[in-house]
Amino acid sequence: MIIEVKNLKKTYEGAVPTYALKKINFGVEKGEFIALMGRSGSGKSTLLHQLGLLDTPTAGEVIMNGINLMSLTEKQKSKFRLEKLGYVFQSYALLPELTALESVYLPLMLSNVSKKIYIKKATEMLKKVGLAERLHHLPKEMSGGEQQRVAIARALVNNPMILFADEPTANLDTESSKVILKLFRELNKEIGQTIIMVTHEPDDKKYVDRVIWLKDGAIEKE
Amino acid sequence: MLISIKDLKKEFVNDEVVTKVLHGISFDIEKGDFISIMGPSGSGKSTLMHILGFLDKPSSGSYHFEGEDASKLEDDKLAEMRSEKIGFVFQAFNLLNRVSALENVMLPLIYTSKTKKERMEKAKHYLTEVGLEHRFGHTPNKLSGGEKQRVAIARALVNEPHIIFADEPTGNLDSKSGIQIMKILEDLNEKGHTIILVTHEKQTAEYAKRIIRLKDGLVVKDFVVNNRNIAKNGDELVK
Amino acid sequence: MNIKTAFFLAITSIKRGNKGTLAMTILIMTLAYVNLVFIASIFGGIVEAINKEAVDNQYSNIVIEPAIDEKYINNKDAIRQIETIPKIIGVSSHYIDNPIVKYDEHKDNKDVKSSRWILKSINPPDEKKVTKIHESIIEGSFLETTDRNQILIGKEIAGGYGGDLDHLSLGVSVGDEIDVFFNNGINRSYIVKGIFSTKSTQADQMLFITKKEMESILKVHNWASEILVKIEDTGNEDVYIEQIRELGLKKEDIKKWSDLMGFTSGASKSFTMISIILGVIGTVVAGVTIFIIIFVSVVNKRKQIGILKAIGMEEDTIILYFVIQALFYGVVGVVLGVSLILFVIRPFFISNPLDFPVGWVSLKVTFNIIKISNLSLIGAALIGGFFPAYRGAKESILKSIWG
Repeated sequence: MIIEVKNLKKTYEGAVPTYALKKINFGVEKGEFIALMGRSGSGKSTLLHQLGLLDTPTAGEVIMNGINLMSLTEKQKSKFRLEKLGYVFQSYALLPELTALESVYLPLMLSNVSKKIYIKKATEMLKKVGLAERLHHLPKEMSGGEQQRVAIARALVNNPMILFADEPTANLDTESSKVILKLFRELNKEIGQTIIMVTHEPDDKKYVDRVIWLKDGAIEKE
Repeated sequence: MLISIKDLKKEFVNDEVVTKVLHGISFDIEKGDFISIMGPSGSGKSTLMHILGFLDKPSSGSYHFEGEDASKLEDDKLAEMRSEKIGFVFQAFNLLNRVSALENVMLPLIYTSKTKKERMEKAKHYLTEVGLEHRFGHTPNKLSGGEKQRVAIARALVNEPHIIFADEPTGNLDSKSGIQIMKILEDLNEKGHTIILVTHEKQTAEYAKRIIRLKDGLVVKDFVVNNRNIAKNGDELVK
Repeated sequence: MNIKTAFFLAITSIKRGNKGTLAMTILIMTLAYVNLVFIASIFGGIVEAINKEAVDNQYSNIVIEPAIDEKYINNKDAIRQIETIPKIIGVSSHYIDNPIVKYDEHKDNKDVKSSRWILKSINPPDEKKVTKIHESIIEGSFLETTDRNQILIGKEIAGGYGGDLDHLSLGVSVGDEIDVFFNNGINRSYIVKGIFSTKSTQADQMLFITKKEMESILKVHNWASEILVKIEDTGNEDVYIEQIRELGLKKEDIKKWSDLMGFTSGASKSFTMISIILGVIGTVVAGVTIFIIIFVSVVNKRKQIGILKAIGMEEDTIILYFVIQALFYGVVGVVLGVSLILFVIRPFFISNPLDFPVGWVSLKVTFNIIKISNLSLIGAALIGGFFPAYRGAKESILKSIWG
């Protein structure tokens, strides 16, 4: 198993505490394409954040490839995020001042890869997602769908263990959404990329291998 | 009698025009007197002071200083009188800026035959008399206006003159310092010094015991001051 | 920390960011820099002007005064030999007296004015090498060696030239006769040959007669109450003082002009203090400006920071990213500021010096001032940039991206 989740809890303190996640247990195999689904407030995004090291659980463990994520220091988490994880967000999350190429090679630069190589790899990645003509364009010069593809290229450029996608098509029209989901499917099939995607679109089910349903912070069914 | 002048006249001839400045002044000054010579501009008070101080000679009339007839004195004797018997205090203190208060006061003594030690003692004595015992080593730029005038007074005293002429001594000072200076002069007079004050300010003049008023070269009033209307500390000396 | 990435991001941010904001920020930094240098240099210029006045018209470089027990410097041989010391431009011996001067302004024996002033005797050709009084004549002319009954007076004594002590002046003009009563009792009359005006009230309160004349009154010969010495390299006085002592003037009191500056060195201390205070304020303002600019930038880029952290950028690298931008503004401000000062502002004031009461003032831009201003501005930029960057980088990823 590439991911093991044991008794994961997330509680937000306050006058009235919020039990966002109430003891989650599940596992993910390498190469799986999983969708986390549920209503608004079900805890699906919260779960993704815990798994993706964007947040810290209140209790429980997440073990990825044998490493207990809770035991990592801040610096180690940074490194882990850089080298082993990739993210695609709902709002593309591109730096507005960087071109597509620059956005994509940024993680490689952070990994101290040489210039020659990072330019080559980033170019290849952008080709793969069908954006060979957009290498030197800024986000404002691209459509929503194109920007999201840049984000995907960036997320994959470091060959991450797991790709996390948080409502990746929520801001796209039907056509562009399809393109993105198909791309995910392709990546999953061709290179065996493990993908965990949060979505609220029931129709997205058909692209994934497994769906985990959440309700009120707990797994309803798988 | 320290000074006795009778019918003192001073005329000035310029291009055949004769201008009479003093029309016949007579009065006596005793040792220990404190006299204010008052008068408006043009009354002749400066000329009178210069004659009394041996800085000028009268045209006619007699001037006896300590019994000696001044008109009969030779130039070098006059010079001696000026440097030894008269002390001047002016409106502009004009001390030597690079030497200390002490050295400024010692200056007039350089022409006498005293040793340096004696000169220093004397200078210290008079600086103490004017209340500057803590300022011996200060150079004038570190002294206030009032303090500088006090150094000038001490310098005027150091040769132990028989008479001190003070020409508008507070003219260049603020009210408070001016009052201080007048109190010092008052004090010195009480210790026995003879002082002649030339001023146009009534309140300054009334520190003296006797006022001689001049107008157009003549004495118009010569009276003993009864109610001394001197400015107490805190009042303004009228400018 | 990934320095390369921080630089990369900082450069693209500056290159592709809002040009208007960039221009304004650089403008403010440049102004802040010029402000720092200008204030310090003007005060430096004022102090320099004061010093120059004193050296030119009162003290020259070195003042030799008699030994503590003496009234005069009477080592004739030594006095003569001072001129032989190399790089000494001039030596001028003075006698000094504090006489009463009497003047009848309207020649009618009314309102005859008298007062005590400081009188010095000079040997005109020597004096010209040592002070600049001969260049400050506003009426009449300077003395000549053979003048016996001529006198040179300063504008404060003459009166009517708007001097500070006008109310104490005698009201004398060139051609008038004044009576001088020396301290030893001797009196003489002199015709005013010339009136001079320097920027120093002290210098303008002096009277000058020739050495020959004074010696006939004091009955001394080739002695001196003080000797002024002018050297080529102002600032190096100590070297010359040593050499002068070696000539035999061991007990004499020898001072350099800076020792004698009294009031004015107090003034220059005050000016220095004011200049430092204004400098600190200027630096703080520059720092706060950068702080605000970077703060705004950080707030605007909040989401981006979250994303960068999400993709694995370390907090340190993020902080560096902003600090480099701050540093950029600071450095450009310094470069433009230095150029502006050296090529525009300073030359302007050299050709158009400011007319201050104490002298003609230009900017005295020293290496020290530039160095300190550089450090201040860049330091302010670094500190001003660091704090908002630090705060921004420390925020949690979720908050940054989703608020």
